[in-house]
Formats: sequence, C-alpha cells, structure tokens
Amino acid sequence: MSDEIISLEQRNALQRQTLVKHHLANILTHWFNVAMWLLLLPTGAGILLNKVYPASNSAWNNLLRSLFGGTAPLIFWHGVWGQVWLAVLVFNVLIGFRKYFLSFASTRMLLDRDDIRWLMIKPWHMVGLRKHVPLPPQDAYNAGQKLYSYVIVIGTFFIGLTGMIMVYSEHIPTTWQWVIQWAMPIHFLAVGITFAGVIIHVYMGAIFPEERQAFFSMFSGKVNGLYAYLHHRKWYLHKMAERGAWEAQYRQKYREPEVAEPPAPSRATGD
Amino acid sequence: MADVKKYGFVIDPRRCIDCRACLVACRAEWNTPEGQTRIWVHTDGPHGTFPNVAQTWVPAQCHHCETPWCVEACPTGATFKREDGLVLIDSEACIGCGLCVNACPYQVRFRNKETGKADKCSGCYTRVDRGEMPACVATCVGGARLFGDFNDPASTVSQAIKGQTVYRPISENVNTGPMTYYLAPPDAAQVQVTPQPREDLSAEVFWRRWAIPFVKLAVGVTFVGQAGAFILQLLRGENEYEDGAV
Repeated sequence: MSDEIISLEQRNALQRQTLVKHHLANILTHWFNVAMWLLLLPTGAGILLNKVYPASNSAWNNLLRSLFGGTAPLIFWHGVWGQVWLAVLVFNVLIGFRKYFLSFASTRMLLDRDDIRWLMIKPWHMVGLRKHVPLPPQDAYNAGQKLYSYVIVIGTFFIGLTGMIMVYSEHIPTTWQWVIQWAMPIHFLAVGITFAGVIIHVYMGAIFPEERQAFFSMFSGKVNGLYAYLHHRKWYLHKMAERGAWEAQYRQKYREPEVAEPPAPSRATGD
Repeated sequence: MADVKKYGFVIDPRRCIDCRACLVACRAEWNTPEGQTRIWVHTDGPHGTFPNVAQTWVPAQCHHCETPWCVEACPTGATFKREDGLVLIDSEACIGCGLCVNACPYQVRFRNKETGKADKCSGCYTRVDRGEMPACVATCVGGARLFGDFNDPASTVSQAIKGQTVYRPISENVNTGPMTYYLAPPDAAQVQVTPQPREDLSAEVFWRRWAIPFVKLAVGVTFVGQAGAFILQLLRGENEYEDGAV
C-alpha cells in the first residue's frame, strides 16, 4: 500500500468497481481443499496414538475410534479421503497443466524484485515499525501469499506421496521397509508445516480487515477496485489495461460499417 | 478367581524334546508363510564331549509383556494390549512400518512376507476365547509349554510355578514384565531368551527429536501470533474506507 492520497470520492468509485480474481474452477478447488482438510486433519491426528509420539491427545484418539468403530476403520477412511483429495488435485493439475497450472505458476507464483522488497518491509509494518516506508506494488498475490503457495504446493506433494506409501505399504517389500518408516515422520512434518501455514492463511484471508475482500472473493470470485488498487496495484493496473485492450478490440470487431459517402452530385449538363 | 485375567506362559525346557509339533500346530492354526514362524525352539548345544553330552531346548514365543515396548512404538495403535494381558495386532490397522519389530527386545515380531503386516504370537486368542488352549500348548506332547491365567491360583500355570525356582527373561537394562516363566533353565539356554536393548531407528529419532518438536513449535507460534494479531485488530477497530475491506 502506498502513501498516495486517494480522495473519498475516488475510494467510493473504486469500491463500486468489481474485478474477477478467481474463476469457478479456483473457487471449487479451494473449497474442496477446505473440506478435505477438515476431514483429513482430525482423522490423521486421531490415528497417532501412543506415548512415544504424543502428537495428539488420547481423548481425541478415543473419541474418533468410537465414532469410526475402531482403529482400522479410522485409518481406512483417512486413506480413502486422502486418495479422493489427491485424485482431484492430480486431475486438476494434469487436465489444466498448460492452460491453468503452468500459467498460474508462472504469473502468480514467481517472486519478482518488488516481492523481495515487500518481504523486507512488510514484517516491520506488521509490528508497527517503519510505516513511512511504502510497500512496493504487488501482483494478484502478494509476496507473502506467493510464499504460502510454495508451502502448499510442496507440502501437498509430500503429504500425498507419503500418504500413498502408507496406504499401499503392504506392497512394499521388507527390504524397502525404511521407505514406510520415513514416510510417517515426513507425512507428519509436511502436514504440520502446511497446517501452520493454514493458520496464517485463515486469519489473513478471512479475519484480517485488509484482506477480507480476498475471503469474499472465494465465494463470488470478485474483489472491489479499492482493495485491488491498494493491495494488488500491479494486478489492478494490468486488469485495467486488459479491459481497455478488450474494449478496443471489441469496438474494432463490431464497429459500425462506415457510411458510404453519397456520390458526388454530377453536374447536370444540358445543351 | 479374579474377574480380570492375566494370561501368560510357563515353559519347562526340561520337558522339551525338540519334536517341534508346536511349530507345526502354530503354522497350521495361523497359516504363517513358509520360512517364517511365530514361535521357536531355541538351542545352543550340544554341550560336553562324548559320552557326556547334553542338549537343552528352550521353547519361546511372544511373552505378552506387562509393559510392551511394541505397543509404545506402534504409531497407529494397531498393536495393543488386551485387558486379559494378550498383546495383539489389528492387521487391518497395521501399515507394516516395522517399528514394533525393531522395538521388541525379544525379537519375536516379524513382518509377514505375504500380508506385509507385523506378525507374532497372538496367544491363540481365538482359541482362548473359546476356552481352549493355544495350539502350541495343546499340541506339546511333553507338557513343556503351559498357558493360563496367573490371576487364578488354581490355574495350571499358577500351580506349575508354585514353590519353583523360576526364570523370567529380563536383564539389567530391559524389564518389560514378560509374562513367560521358565522353570529351571540351564544358563546357556537363558541367553536365547534374554532381551536385548533396542536401538532406535533413524526415522524414529527424526520423528521424535526433530519433527514433533518442530511441528509443535511452528503450529504453536503461528497460532499464538495470529491470536495476538486478532486481539490487536479488535483493539484497533476497523476503518470502512481505509483498506477496501467492505
């Protein structure tokens, strides 16, 4: 956010403006992820039962075992939901690899020089210091959100890989048993780190006032112009340029045919 | 007779003739893959020189310990101890990681090469629940293997150890409360059933010493941080026109 002065009138005008930030596929994938995390995290925590790895509370373990009818059904359903989650994500990535995933990764995930500067300034702002230093303009996602996307992508990869190893562990020969043994702590670590990121994501996305527009955009797909202008200036300007280009093209395509000049009246000649 | 049972074994090596009928009965009962077994007959003889030669055989199996390390090591709860003392494996819940195999100081667990799951003596709980003896005990022709409820003073096992010098397979470093009592085994044979301290696997060390504390720290710090930010937000209030939030 810069220290640029924007009048109330301009602010109101910008607030009335709407920009599409997420398409339906993004929105559905996001809420599908939410649903899967809500199923997988509690059941995963419920599986870890013993005193050596006190990662989850025994009362929670007992409650889930009672709900699912034992340890085996709990593990079974955790595995089934995990595979459904992965199948949808893999399908999304494979089907939309060039059209969706690659373009998303290249345009919305890569850090540029402004992002690096943003990362150096933002922490100071968060603790109330160096407020006079303006934040550099950001793209559709700010540098913090970009870093979070790396955590999500890398975390999901390791969660999925190690989860599949554990689900199909009986097919792994005993000489490769170390693969299963390492899959467990890596799965745990990947979930833990990603979950730490999710805590920040939920607060910043749903509760934090400056980014609350982002939360509503995960339902409507749209954000208002003021939010986009203040927090994602580069993206806002890009969208405006995109709109202008589209309109020019549209006008060019559907412009009314030029009215033919009426033929010049011929001089009447008469003898 | 106490309501809660405390099952265990009594082994009398002097009565074992190494016929291995117990191994056959166990395999027939549980269909253990070839090359793997749930129970053993150990020996380290023969000792001495002809004609003074002797050999002792020491039957062994899972001791269904009072504080089983395998149960502690199992990350999923697939290995558990029943109220009657039998330590069992829920094969459906086991992912075959082998942490319990490594944790057992008696090395009586193995990964079943057909199922890919942890496997061991279950005390023939299905037979015991029907009021029968475990297959190995029922088959033992010499009466070297006995099984029963130690909480019942009239049981075969309680009677067998009454007034006897017994050996419980524990060591200076390892005492998991094994529920097997050996009747007067010779010193040499004791070695076969003496527990060995476990060595943690590198994956377990990584999990316990690094992964768990790190995850706790990361989740804890972010949660407290966000909670603090939320409280600050409540104290400051929000501005309708400031952030484009509405």
